[in-house]
Amino acid sequence: MNTVVNQTKLHPYSRSVSIIGVGCTPFMNTVDDPETEGLTEGELFGYATMEAMQDAGVSPKDVDFYFHGQAAPMGSDYITPNIMAANWVGMKGKGSIHHSEACCTGYLALEQAVNAVASGKYNVVLSGCVEFGDAIAIPYKPACFRRKMPMNEFLETTRWIYDKAYTLGMMAGPVINFDDSAEYYARTYGLSVDEMDTVICHMALNNRYNAVHHSLAIVKEDFPEIAKKAGYENIMDYMKSDRENPKMGEYLRLLGTEIKCDGAAAVIVCPTEMASQFTDQKPIEVLGIGSACLESSNHNLEIHATREAVRQVYELTGVTPEEIDLMYINDFMIPSQLVAAEIAGYLPEGEGWKYISEGRTRFDGDRPINTNGGRTSFGHAHAASGLADLYEAVHQMRGDCGERQVKKLPKTVMLRGFGGSQNVTAAIIRTKEA
Amino acid sequence: MKAAKMEKIVKTFYDQLEKGKIMGRRCTACGNVEFPPVFICNKCGCFETEWIELSGKATFQSLMVANGQTQKYQDLMPYGLGAVTLEEGSEVNALIGGITPENAEEYRNKLPAGCHAKIVQRDGYKTVMFEVDK
Repeated sequence: MNTVVNQTKLHPYSRSVSIIGVGCTPFMNTVDDPETEGLTEGELFGYATMEAMQDAGVSPKDVDFYFHGQAAPMGSDYITPNIMAANWVGMKGKGSIHHSEACCTGYLALEQAVNAVASGKYNVVLSGCVEFGDAIAIPYKPACFRRKMPMNEFLETTRWIYDKAYTLGMMAGPVINFDDSAEYYARTYGLSVDEMDTVICHMALNNRYNAVHHSLAIVKEDFPEIAKKAGYENIMDYMKSDRENPKMGEYLRLLGTEIKCDGAAAVIVCPTEMASQFTDQKPIEVLGIGSACLESSNHNLEIHATREAVRQVYELTGVTPEEIDLMYINDFMIPSQLVAAEIAGYLPEGEGWKYISEGRTRFDGDRPINTNGGRTSFGHAHAASGLADLYEAVHQMRGDCGERQVKKLPKTVMLRGFGGSQNVTAAIIRTKEA
Repeated sequence: MKAAKMEKIVKTFYDQLEKGKIMGRRCTACGNVEFPPVFICNKCGCFETEWIELSGKATFQSLMVANGQTQKYQDLMPYGLGAVTLEEGSEVNALIGGITPENAEEYRNKLPAGCHAKIVQRDGYKTVMFEVDK
């Protein structure tokens, strides 16, 4: 492959920064349920933020600056939604920045907050993201008035993430994204189309198993139950049924893609040395975040950009793949799980598909991935999903996930962000021992 | 980690307007009233606020005369715009009905002047503006 990927050398933060609080709303389709119909972006952002503040032991007065992330303006009809958000969370007058990196927004939300504190400019920074991925704001009506966003209308908006100079016109880039990583993996490691299909179905099954145990996930029913109701005794017959689970391309199937939805999540960071002023919980230090971007005319862009982001963060931190205890991977196209985990060295190269097929990447396995159920089953509130992963990672690292707790208390976690055709990040966070 | 039951502040506000009530949120710690209603007290930072029905009594501290250029609000003419302070203490930018180019100077000379809230029908929902006290 001849794709050019320029490299970046990361430098250490000017001071250590840690996560001290996280918050997350349920991921949901608000307009489908009378209980949630009428919720607004201010309210979702507010609930996630209040939880993060209470978790961190800070008040709005303690927060020096906030970041606000949202992927697409259709859900809110705003292009500067950060301004309105302040009213809801007791931070009128505080400075803020709005940012938007599509499905990678939530991962870069952490990056923004950490950089702001590491620079020395601010001590306590809030970073929150909110998305109405399933409901559209109605122009000129108050925010509680919304309508359902049909899938075809949502897919139309994906044109916003592709290059209009050449890529959209040449047509292949947006379409090849669906199968790019799956085709790469099958070709590189000698899996047939059917074998790769099986692996992809196993990833969807594992995500669903994780999600049905999580109270905030959008799905509540596991695939075996659904399959049985549909008359399938063998779960893989259901998963490979073109009627129940149609193919989106040559490899990817519908149940291996995101469930778009509404939701919000937030994080509070501060200098590690200040954490004990606010909370008795162990701070979770952000050791580093690697970043790389490649747009969709680049073949195997996810492979190349993930390699570069992962290379950066390993080089900066000195952390080795063997030290990673748990991994989160933005998997709105589920083959991402497999390729990113192998690139990070979390699963052995060329062997990861076996781990997945044996269920070892479920929360109760020995190499857990996406313990919340990922984008295909926790749901995908596009901007908020990255911080929802961080929320889950922090709770797993604290060991307070109850029946969903992974077997070995994770000390070091990697989060691989991906989105917007495509921003890629690789963050390593680690529990700071006293 | 439990799914919180999320209170719908905005929807409740508009639903109450349909019933003729104008609602704010009062801070349980410092008593500050947030209007329009939001979750957290912006004055003291307390997370706990509760619903309060507002009296509608208010004063306005500043006044600009609408010149009719805003087409969407033509049906509300004549009106002015100003900073309105509610009896409960909240300040908000608002439309003030009854202000004309002819009487504006009279009101400017007696600022702060009395006004009161008025619920008005818009396209599919009701909202709040104010009207000068006669």
